[in-house]
Amino acid sequence: MADRTANVTWQGSLLEGSGTIDSVGSGAFGPLDVTWTARTEEPGGLTSPEELVAAAHASCFSMALSHALAQAGTPPERLETSATVTFVPGTGITRSALRVRATVPGLDEAGFAEHASAAKEGCPVSKALAAVPEITLDAALA
Amino acid sequence: MPRIVRDAEIVWEGTTARGSGVVSALSSGSFALPTTIASRVGDPEGKTSPEELLAAAHASCYVTSLGSELARAGTPPERMEVHCRITMDEVGDLGHLVVASAITARGVVPGCDQSAFARAAEDAHLACPLSTLIKASATVTIDAVLEGGS
Repeated sequence: MADRTANVTWQGSLLEGSGTIDSVGSGAFGPLDVTWTARTEEPGGLTSPEELVAAAHASCFSMALSHALAQAGTPPERLETSATVTFVPGTGITRSALRVRATVPGLDEAGFAEHASAAKEGCPVSKALAAVPEITLDAALA
Repeated sequence: MPRIVRDAEIVWEGTTARGSGVVSALSSGSFALPTTIASRVGDPEGKTSPEELLAAAHASCYVTSLGSELARAGTPPERMEVHCRITMDEVGDLGHLVVASAITARGVVPGCDQSAFARAAEDAHLACPLSTLIKASATVTIDAVLEGGS
């Protein structure tokens, strides 16, 4: 079992105030500032819940995929994965689009596509985001 | 409403067991962080993980929903502190799953009493996009404590 934590403070109103992701349990990052304007308009160097979800999804998918490839006897040399998360205020998070480009010695496109699709379905963050209306995958060997 | 799009990326080298990745915030450029599978499931050793990023996402999303609900109730907050703990566990044949997200919210809210704060915290839970997603497959709990309440 793994527990992971984060602490956020917010001062002032939603539109004029601002928040800070003060710290996370690992100490890997923080403080990171967040504001409503940066979340919904230009980021201006500030992260947002949606960007953090994108980071969680891309990293979880990549670990699941690298594990599956290694189990199949074709460990990857390199996986480059991005996730693009779409947020519609008032509606919610409507989409997470995964895109992976991979260097996997000894594996063809069809085999890679199969593993990538399984990782998209099975990784813990995909399952946690199962209620997102649209999760898409664009997978190809580099 | 406008569609808001945010990108992040990870570059992973090597296998899960021995490899490692760097996860980056592409839209904002605000972080680039190493991660490994060992630090994900065991001692973090200063490295982040998908679950920690999800905890940061849920905490930062929930805090804005809570602020909105308090403002809507006519008692805008002076200060809010939200802690989120994401738990991943191995669940039978299903493998690793995010099983819980536990939110603790503390607020300094002039003119708000504990029951109104608890109500706003519950309404925020219903409104928060991340709560909505996570509670579809895991347990989300909200513990709301008003500080110095009137």
